[in-house]
Amino acid sequence: MSPDAALIERLRQRDVCAFEELYDRHSRIVYGLVLRILQQASTAEEVVQDIFLQLWRNARHYDGARGPFLPWLLTLARNRALDQLRLKSERQRRREAQSEQLPAAAGARPDFEGNLDDQRRAARVRELMSALKPQQKSAIELAYFEGLSHSEIATRLGEPLGTVKSWIRNGLLKLKEGLEATA
Amino acid sequence: MSSSDTTRDPFLALIEAYALGALDADERASVEAHLAAGCVGCAQSLAQARSIVSQLAYLAPEAQPTEMLRGRLLKAVRDDAATGKAPAPAQKAIPFWMWAGAAAALLLALYNLYEYQSTRKAIGQAQAALDAQIQLQRQAAQELLAARREALILTDPGSVRIAMPAGKAGLPELQATWHAALGIVISGENLPVPGGQRTLQLWLIPKAAGANPIPSLNVRPESDGRFHLLVEQPPGQPGDTKLLAITEEPRGGSEQPTTAPIWVGAVEGK
Repeated sequence: MSPDAALIERLRQRDVCAFEELYDRHSRIVYGLVLRILQQASTAEEVVQDIFLQLWRNARHYDGARGPFLPWLLTLARNRALDQLRLKSERQRRREAQSEQLPAAAGARPDFEGNLDDQRRAARVRELMSALKPQQKSAIELAYFEGLSHSEIATRLGEPLGTVKSWIRNGLLKLKEGLEATA
Repeated sequence: MSSSDTTRDPFLALIEAYALGALDADERASVEAHLAAGCVGCAQSLAQARSIVSQLAYLAPEAQPTEMLRGRLLKAVRDDAATGKAPAPAQKAIPFWMWAGAAAALLLALYNLYEYQSTRKAIGQAQAALDAQIQLQRQAAQELLAARREALILTDPGSVRIAMPAGKAGLPELQATWHAALGIVISGENLPVPGGQRTLQLWLIPKAAGANPIPSLNVRPESDGRFHLLVEQPPGQPGDTKLLAITEEPRGGSEQPTTAPIWVGAVEGK
C-alpha cells in the first residue's frame, strides 16, 4: 500500500493527523496548479481550501483500486480551479458536467507513483513537454490550464482546427510513451 | 494505440482530447454516449489518458500556500472531528482578504463619493468662472462694437451734428450726432443728476404737423455729471425729424413727455 493509500484509509476513520499529513504532502503541488490556472493567490487559496475540505468530507469517494491518489487529487483540483475560472470569465460551460462530481480515478496504473517520486516525475513531464513543438506544447497547455476547447485553441493560435486536434492528440501520445518508458 | 485501433473504433482517437477536456460540445456528447454504451476499450484508454493528463499538473511550478490557510483548514477539520459532523459550509472562513477587500471597497466608495462631490463642486466653480469670463468677454465685445459705432457716428462726414442747448440757465449744452444708418450719440458733462429714480429721456419730434413726440431711450447721468447716450436704432430718420428733445421722466421712461423739455436741438439735415 502506498503512503497516500494508507493515509486515505486513516482519513476515512476521520483521523485528523492523516489529513494534516496529506495536506503537507500535496498542498504545494495542488496550490501551484490552482495558482497557475487562476493567476490570483487569494482566489487560489480559497479553491485549495475547498478542495481539501471536500477531501475530508468525501474521502470515501476515492477508490484506490482504480488508480493512485495524487492524479485523482490533481484532477479534482484542476476541475475546481477551471470552474472558478469560468465563473469569473463566463467562459463556455463545456466541462460543467465533469466538474460537478468528484473525478473518476485518474489512471489504471496503480504502480505509477510507486516508481517515481514527485520530483523525478515532474522533471520527466517537463522534459517530455519541452521536446514537443512549441505550438504543440502551447495547445496542450491552453487546454489544460485554461480549459479551452479545440476550436477555442484554434482561434487563439490562429491555426486550422484539424492541426490543433493533431497537435494535442499526438502530443499527449508522445507524453504517454515517454512516461511509460520511464516508469 | 495503433491506427488500426482507431480505424476500428474512431472514438479512440478522441479519448485523449476528452480526458483533457478539449473536445467541443458535440464531440464530447458523442464520446460520453459511446462510453455510456459500455465500450470497454475506450474506457481503458480513457483511464490511461486521464493518468497522463493529470501529470500535466507538474508543468505548474509548486507554490507554498500561506500558513493561514493551513490553520483554517486544520481548525475546521479538528472542530468537525470533535463534533462528529462534517464541516459545515459555514465553517469555511471568510478569508481576511475578503474582509479587507470589502473594507477597501467601502473606503473606495466613500472616497469616490467625496471625489465626485469635490469634482462636481470644482466643475461648478469652474463653470461659474467660465460663464463669468464669457459674460465679460461678451460685454467687452459689445462695448467694443459700441465704441466703434460711436467713433463712426462721430467721425463720418454724413453725420448730422446737433447742438442741444438747455432751456434752463446754468445747465450745460449737450452735443448730439446723428448718422442715418448708425444711430445717435448724445453726450455732455456736469449735468445735475435727477432726484430719486427719475431719468432723462430722448424724444424725436417729427416734422409732420400735429405728430406726437416719438419716445426713445432714457438714461441717468453718471454721479459725476457725465451724460452719454448711444441710440443704435432711433425710432426715426434725420430727414423726418424736426427736433431732438430731452425731458426728465419717471424711471423707465414714458410713452409721452410728462415734463417740459430741458434740452432741445434742431435737426438740420445735410
